[in-house]
Amino acid sequence: MSLNGQVVVATDVTRRYGVGDAAVNALAGISTAFERDRFTAIMGPSGSGKSTLMHILAGLDKPTSGTVELDGVEITALDDGELTKLRRDKLGFVFQFFNLLPVLTAEENLVLPLSIAGRKPDQAWVDQLVRTVNLEDRRTHRPSELSGGQQQRVAVARALVSKPAVVFADEPTGNLDSKSSAGVLDLLRQAVDEFGQTVIMVTHDPAAAAHADRLITLRDGELVHDASPGSADEVIELMKQID
Amino acid sequence: MTSLALKSLWARKVRAMTTAFAVVIGVAFIAGSYILSDTIFAAFDEIFSESLSGTSVVITAKNPVEQDNGEVPTISASLLQQVQKTPGVKLAAGAIFTPGGFFDSKGEKIGSKFAPKFISSTLPGKLEALKYIEGHRPRGPTEASIDKAAAEASHLELGEDIELIGQGSAKKFQLVGFTQLGSASFGGTSIAQVTLPVAQALTHKVGRFDQISVAAVDGVSPALLKRRIAAEMPSGVRVETGTESADRASEEIRDNLSFLQTFLLVFGFIAVFVGSFLIFNTFSITVAQRVTEFGMLRTLGASRRQILSTVLSEAVAIGLFGALVGIAGGFLIALLLNALLEAFGVDLPTTSLVMESRTIVVSLLVGVVVTFVSSLIPALRSTRVPPIAALNAFVPTPSRRRRLIYAGFSILLGVAGLAMAVAGLVGGGGAGTRAGLIGAGALVSVIAVSLFSPRLVPPLATVAGWPLERLRRLTGRLARENAQRNPSRTAVTAAALMIGLALVTFVTVFAAGLKSSVATVVDENFAGGLVIQNSDGFSPIPNGTATAARKVPGVESVATIRSAQAKVVGSGAGARVTAPTPNIGESLNIEWKQGGPEALRGLGDGQAILSDSFASSNGLEAGDSFRLLTQTSKRPSFEVTGVFDSKLNVLGSVLITQPVLARDFSQTQDTIDFVTTESGADAATVQAILTKGVEVAFPTAEVLNQEELKESREEQVNTLVNLFYALLALAIVISLFGIANTLALSIHERTRELGMLRAIGMSRRQVRTMIRYEAVITALIGAILGMILGVVFAALIAQPLKDEGFTLSYPIVSLVALLVLAGLAGVLAAILPARRASRLDVLESLQYE
Repeated sequence: MSLNGQVVVATDVTRRYGVGDAAVNALAGISTAFERDRFTAIMGPSGSGKSTLMHILAGLDKPTSGTVELDGVEITALDDGELTKLRRDKLGFVFQFFNLLPVLTAEENLVLPLSIAGRKPDQAWVDQLVRTVNLEDRRTHRPSELSGGQQQRVAVARALVSKPAVVFADEPTGNLDSKSSAGVLDLLRQAVDEFGQTVIMVTHDPAAAAHADRLITLRDGELVHDASPGSADEVIELMKQID
Repeated sequence: MTSLALKSLWARKVRAMTTAFAVVIGVAFIAGSYILSDTIFAAFDEIFSESLSGTSVVITAKNPVEQDNGEVPTISASLLQQVQKTPGVKLAAGAIFTPGGFFDSKGEKIGSKFAPKFISSTLPGKLEALKYIEGHRPRGPTEASIDKAAAEASHLELGEDIELIGQGSAKKFQLVGFTQLGSASFGGTSIAQVTLPVAQALTHKVGRFDQISVAAVDGVSPALLKRRIAAEMPSGVRVETGTESADRASEEIRDNLSFLQTFLLVFGFIAVFVGSFLIFNTFSITVAQRVTEFGMLRTLGASRRQILSTVLSEAVAIGLFGALVGIAGGFLIALLLNALLEAFGVDLPTTSLVMESRTIVVSLLVGVVVTFVSSLIPALRSTRVPPIAALNAFVPTPSRRRRLIYAGFSILLGVAGLAMAVAGLVGGGGAGTRAGLIGAGALVSVIAVSLFSPRLVPPLATVAGWPLERLRRLTGRLARENAQRNPSRTAVTAAALMIGLALVTFVTVFAAGLKSSVATVVDENFAGGLVIQNSDGFSPIPNGTATAARKVPGVESVATIRSAQAKVVGSGAGARVTAPTPNIGESLNIEWKQGGPEALRGLGDGQAILSDSFASSNGLEAGDSFRLLTQTSKRPSFEVTGVFDSKLNVLGSVLITQPVLARDFSQTQDTIDFVTTESGADAATVQAILTKGVEVAFPTAEVLNQEELKESREEQVNTLVNLFYALLALAIVISLFGIANTLALSIHERTRELGMLRAIGMSRRQVRTMIRYEAVITALIGAILGMILGVVFAALIAQPLKDEGFTLSYPIVSLVALLVLAGLAGVLAAILPARRASRLDVLESLQYE
C-alpha cells in the first residue's frame, strides 16, 4: 500500500516520440499522484498529452523516462505477461468506442474480464451491477440490439466487475448524445461514491469533467492546472484560458 | 483506374502474395506435370533414336494385341539368311530384347521394383547401340554386361557374379562390362547384355529372334532397302526403317504413358480448383474491407464500371504474376513429382527438363482465367457499394430473398450433380464419357455443397466447437462464435479443405472396399494351399517353377494358370485369356452360372468358358461361337461351353486350354501356380521347402500362403493409395493457406476487438488459443462436409461394381484419424495468424480504425 492512500503515483514521466529533429515531447516531465476513492478528470487541448499520460498510467504505453507505481507495483518495468496479469487484477477500462464483443450477450460481456481470468463471477455482485446499470431486461441481448448508451453502461459495469484498483476511462462519452452521456457519468460517479472505486477519466467534454472530484489539465505535455473542477461553465472558462 | 488497381495492389503486397500463392501452387503443379511428362517422352525418343542410330532397317513380328508385360511375338531365326542375301545389305544380325530379372551375388534384386529390366544380345559392328564405357563386351557363355546406372545403384564391380533369369531358372554370369546408351537417364530401366546364343537360351527363344537389325551398304537408302526386304518377308513380319521403328516405339510409349500425364494434370486442376476458393474468399473479404475506399471513389465520380475494372485488373495482375512464378515453379514440381514417382517404384527415364510452348500457354491461361473468374463475384459486389459508404461503413449484405435464391439454386445444383454422377455410373457411352460425367457430377456437387454450406456453418460450428468449449470455456466459446460470425466466409474457407478431404475420404473408403473385397475373394474362392507368383505381383513366372514345385515332398498337386491378352474379332473388345490346368477346380472354388466343373475338366480345343461379365458385355452364352485375334495374329474360333462368376478375377474373362494358348497365343509361361499340399503334410514345412527350392532357382518367384497372398494384394492397393495421398496433400496444403489467409484477414478486421480483450486482461496465450481454435473449427467443418461427400461418392461408385464382387466397407478408424488430422491441420494453419494476433500492440489496436 502506498502512503496517503495514493493508488497511482507518476514520477517525472516523459514520453518522446520519434528521434532527432523530428522528435516530439508528448510528455515533458509529469509528476502527480491519484488517491483512492476519487474521480479524477484529465483535460487538455488536442496534442496536450492527456491520452498519452493515461496510457502510461494504465501500463498500455511505456514512458521514455520516469516511473509509474500502481497499487504499490512499479509498472514501467513489467513485461507483457505481468502487465496482462496486472490488467486482469487491478485495472478496469472504459473506451470511447464501446468495444463490446458483438458475439456475446450483454451479461457475458459484463463478466468477460472474469471469464478471461477463469474466475467464477460473484452472482450477487453481477446482479447488483446489472441493476445499477439498469439493464435487467437486457441481460441476454447482443450489443447490436442495445443503444449506444446501453452499450457504454455495459462497458462501465464490465470495468467494475473485477473490483479493480483503478478504472481508466478514455473519452467514455465521446461517442454519446448528452442524455446517454449523463447516464454514463452518473454511473462512474456512483462507482466512486457507492462502490469505493477510483476512476481516472480522460475527456474533452467540460460537462463530463464537472462530474469529477479533481481536474488535471495538460498543455504541451506539461501539467498546467490541478484543482477541483467546479461547474461545467467554470471548466469551459478554465479551458479557454489554457488554450 | 488500372494504375490505381496496381498501386492499391502494391499497397497490400502481403495480401496479394498469399492470393498469388494459391495460383502459383496450382499452376506450378500443372506446368510440372507437363514438364515431367514431356521430359519422359523426350527421354524415350532419345533412347529409341539412339539405339537405332546405326540401323537402317528393323525387322520384327507384327504385334496386333499388346501384352500386360510388354512381351512381343518373335520371328523365326531362319529369316536372317534371306535378309542377308538381299542386295544392299551390308550387315544383318538377329537380336534378343526380352524382359527378365537381375540379381546380385547375394540374391538381391538389381534395380527398382516396377521398372522394366531387359535381357539383350550383343550385336555386331555399328548395329550395337550400347556403348561400353568400362570393360568389354561379353564373349563367352558365362559373361554378361549391365548398364552403368544399375551397376552404380547396386554397387556392382567388374568381375563380380550376377544372376539373370529369363524364362527358365536363374543362371550365373560374370560381369565383364558396363554400358551406357546416349545421354538420357534410363530411370529404373536396366539392360543386361549377353551373347546371342546365351540370350536365346535364357529367354527360351532358341531359333527365334525378337528383331533382325540391318545396316545398308553406302548409297542404298533405308527406304529402298526396306522395300527390297519387305518383298521377301512372309506375312506377320513387319519391316521398318530405323527411323520408322524409333518413331513407332516413341508413339507406343506416348500412348502407354499419356495416362500418367492425365493423372498428374487431374491433381493439378484439383489444386487450382481449391485455390480458386482461396482467391474468391480473399477478394470477397478485401472488397468488404474496402467499402469506404470504394464509396470515396464513387463520391469523386468513379462509375460502377470503373470500380469493377479496378478490382478485376487487380485479379488479372495477381493471376498473371502467379502464373509466371508458377511456370518457374513447374521445374521444381517436375523434379519433385519424379522423385515421388520414383519413391513409389515408378522409375522412368528422364533427360534435361523439357519446356514446351504449350506448357507456358496453358499455365498462363489457367492462372489468369481462374483468378479472373474467382474474383468476378466479389468484383461485382464491389460495384454495389453506394457513395454514402465513404461516410459510414456500409456492408452490402445479401437480402433474405437473395439468400433463399442461393439456397434453392444450390439444392438444384446438388441434385443435378448427383444426377450427372448417376448417369455416368449406370448410363451407356464410352468409358471416357462416363468418367467425364462422374467427374463433372462430383465437381457440380462440390460447388453445390459449398454454395449451401453457409447455412450449415452455424450448426456444424456448434458441433465442432463443443469439445473445445468444454476444454477451454471462454476461448473455445469465442473461437466458435467468431467462426459463426460470418458464415459464408467460414463456409468458403472450409469448402476448400472439404474438397481435399472428400477426395482423401473417397480414396480411403474405396481402397478399404477393394482390400476387403480381395480378401473376401481369397477367403471364399481359394481352397487353401500355397500360391507361387512373381514377386512384382503381375509378371509371369519362369517356366519350370511348377515342375520344380511338384517334386517337393508334401506337395500333392500343382495347378497353373497362364494368360494372354487378345481382342474379340469384330468388336475389338479386349479379352484376358486364361489357360488353367484341368485340375484348377481343386484350388479354386468356381461359381458356375452356366455349365459346371465338367465343362472345365472336359475343355477341349476350340472351346472356351467365359466370365459372366465378359459373356454379357459381348452378348454370348453357352453354345455361341466367337473368334479372338491373338498376339501372333491368329484368329482361332471358340465355342462357349460354360459361364462362371467374374468376381474371381484371377481367371480373367476367357478360359481355354494351355495347349491352345501355346499354339495360337505363343504363351507358355505361368502367371500363377496353386500348390495343394498332401492332407497329412504340414503346410508351413511344405512352404519352407518350396520357398527354398523355388526362390533360389527362380528368384523372381515367391511362395505365399493364403494370408500372405491377401497381404501382397493389399500392399499393391496400399502403394497406390499412398501415391494418391501424396498427390492430394497438395490440395490440402492450399486449403490450409486458405484458412490462414481468412484468419489473417478476419484478425485484421477485429484488431480493435483484440486490443480491447488484451486491455481487459486476456493473455497472449489466450489470444493464440482463441485463434487456433477458430482454425480448428473451420477445418473440422470442412472435414465433416468433405468426409460426408467422400463417403457418398464412394458408395455411389461402388454400386455398379457390386456384380464384380466389390463390397464397400467403412474404415471407421481411418476416418476418425482423418478428422483428428484435419483438426491438427487447422492448428498448423493458425500458427502464423495466431502469432500475429497475439503480438498486436494493445494501444495501437485500441486506436485502430
